[in-house]
Amino acid sequence: MPYDDLRGYLEALDEHGQLLRITEPAAPEPDLAAAATAAARMGPRAPALCFESVTGYAAGRVALNVHGSWANHALALDLPPTTGVREQVAEFSRRWDSFPLPAEHRPGPPFLAHTLLGEDIDLYRVLPLFRLNAHDGGFYVDKAAVVTRDPEDPDHFGKQNVGIYRLQCKGRRRLGIQPGSIHDIARHLRAAEERGQDLPVAVALGNDPVISLVAATPMAYEESEYELAGALRGTPAPLARAPLTGLDVPWGCEVLMEGVIESRVREIEGPFGEFTGHYSGGRRMPVIRIDRISHRTDPIFEHLYLGLPWTEIDYLMGPATCVPLLRQLRAEFPEVVAVNAMYTHGLVAIVSTRSRVGGFARAVGLRLTTTPHGLGYCKVVVVVDENVDPFDLPQVMWALSTKFNPSQDVIHLPGMPVLPLDPSSSPTGISGKIVLDATTPVPPDHRGRHTTAVTDAPRTQEWLTRLTSWAQGPRPSTGAAP
Amino acid sequence: MTCPRCLYDHAETVTAAPEGGAAVWEVRQCPRCWYAWRSTEAPARTSAEHFPAEHRLTPEAIDAAPELPAVPPLLPGVPEPAAAPGEDRGATA
Ligand SMILES: [Zn+2]
Repeated sequence: MPYDDLRGYLEALDEHGQLLRITEPAAPEPDLAAAATAAARMGPRAPALCFESVTGYAAGRVALNVHGSWANHALALDLPPTTGVREQVAEFSRRWDSFPLPAEHRPGPPFLAHTLLGEDIDLYRVLPLFRLNAHDGGFYVDKAAVVTRDPEDPDHFGKQNVGIYRLQCKGRRRLGIQPGSIHDIARHLRAAEERGQDLPVAVALGNDPVISLVAATPMAYEESEYELAGALRGTPAPLARAPLTGLDVPWGCEVLMEGVIESRVREIEGPFGEFTGHYSGGRRMPVIRIDRISHRTDPIFEHLYLGLPWTEIDYLMGPATCVPLLRQLRAEFPEVVAVNAMYTHGLVAIVSTRSRVGGFARAVGLRLTTTPHGLGYCKVVVVVDENVDPFDLPQVMWALSTKFNPSQDVIHLPGMPVLPLDPSSSPTGISGKIVLDATTPVPPDHRGRHTTAVTDAPRTQEWLTRLTSWAQGPRPSTGAAP
Repeated sequence: MTCPRCLYDHAETVTAAPEGGAAVWEVRQCPRCWYAWRSTEAPARTSAEHFPAEHRLTPEAIDAAPELPAVPPLLPGVPEPAAAPGEDRGATA
């Protein structure tokens, strides 16, 4: 059953033992960020955290690490919590085949329970805001779905954008926003600012888990995140009309903030500890003025800790980054088997492919750097054979150890674009890129001595299944003697 | 109240704890550099004396910061907006 709101998903996590409810009072600093940092270090079965009492709040509820493990990511997609990473990515891609699946508008969104307008708005009273990383310039909201429309084509549903952007609280009803230049929201803002107009915006916080996944997925400009959410859910994404702006917003959200990005205004922002594991700041960025807040009773503040990887954001963005890259490569090169672009949103990526002809693998690697997402990422690309699992790093290291010859298998591209947040870029936003071809050369590329690879003994797979079942349960009496 | 980061001396109290009020905590913010802190945080976050040197800001640095994204030129025929961007917001006060 897909979830229609965050509360339904938290219940499912609880049923699977993937949620820790913490009822003892927690200090906003440093307890909440410290707990979220610690949760991220608990491994592939790390739980979500739900704090029920925050000092200074009558009913401060904070949900952290909600997507922050492979078990939780699997449950977000309604898969068994033990599903492997490679299988989760493959299933994500398979469901994308049903894209676009139209969304449905549902009446009576629960966020209409409470309304605050204009000067009565105090974000700090609605949400137990707190500092994430020590040197952040303030308190941030970093897991909300930010919705805008294209001022040049406001009725186009697909051009309506849903994305997650860092939002710095700058007062009771004011947020700084980072609309990265390569993102669709920057295109909307530019069109509005060229006309001297404010850009209407809705910020939906605390969503069903698939909304966060699609908001983190790099999609083409005219593709609707909501219609991808439907495909991933297998049933239409429930939406509601935002009462002030008329934007389409997730029906089940906990808190809905509406207002405008003020035209042609820039203010100093940051710093903020980013997914690169480094702070970024010192730029002047646009500002949102909030004119209306709608929220559920006792809203849950869903928040995301990010910092030195891996943290929740790596789970949230990982498969969501792999799948569009896989599909874009396969559209032209059906030989491509899998893409693992989970390292820092795909700054490092691994592709496995069959080789059509000598030199094919490096062509695939180069193509990855020129996909829409690859333009700003895919700085280091490793290409491996089709029988190497790119999600199994020891296998990838084996391919690099034995298939890769630095004399001939390195392609270095100087002066390529990269996202400005990459701290190694110099000047900011410019970087070299590299493709490492760790595939077996095929004719007419006759190199090396790769014909003598060891293969599994017959019946190895059968024995693996047998041994695994014995390891998990009682061994039959006819089994091998100890 | 002095901003721990840029030393502007008109930092403001934004809000107090909804339960227990200012005796529990206050959130304070600087209207020049937008640094925000809670009164209960560590001295490195709340006092100019202990604020880390590498994270301080000056009015010059704020003014020199690049725009992201840059404000685009107005389309031909669009009148200049009434208030110039950034002014009247204390950003350079
Ligand atoms: Zn300041």
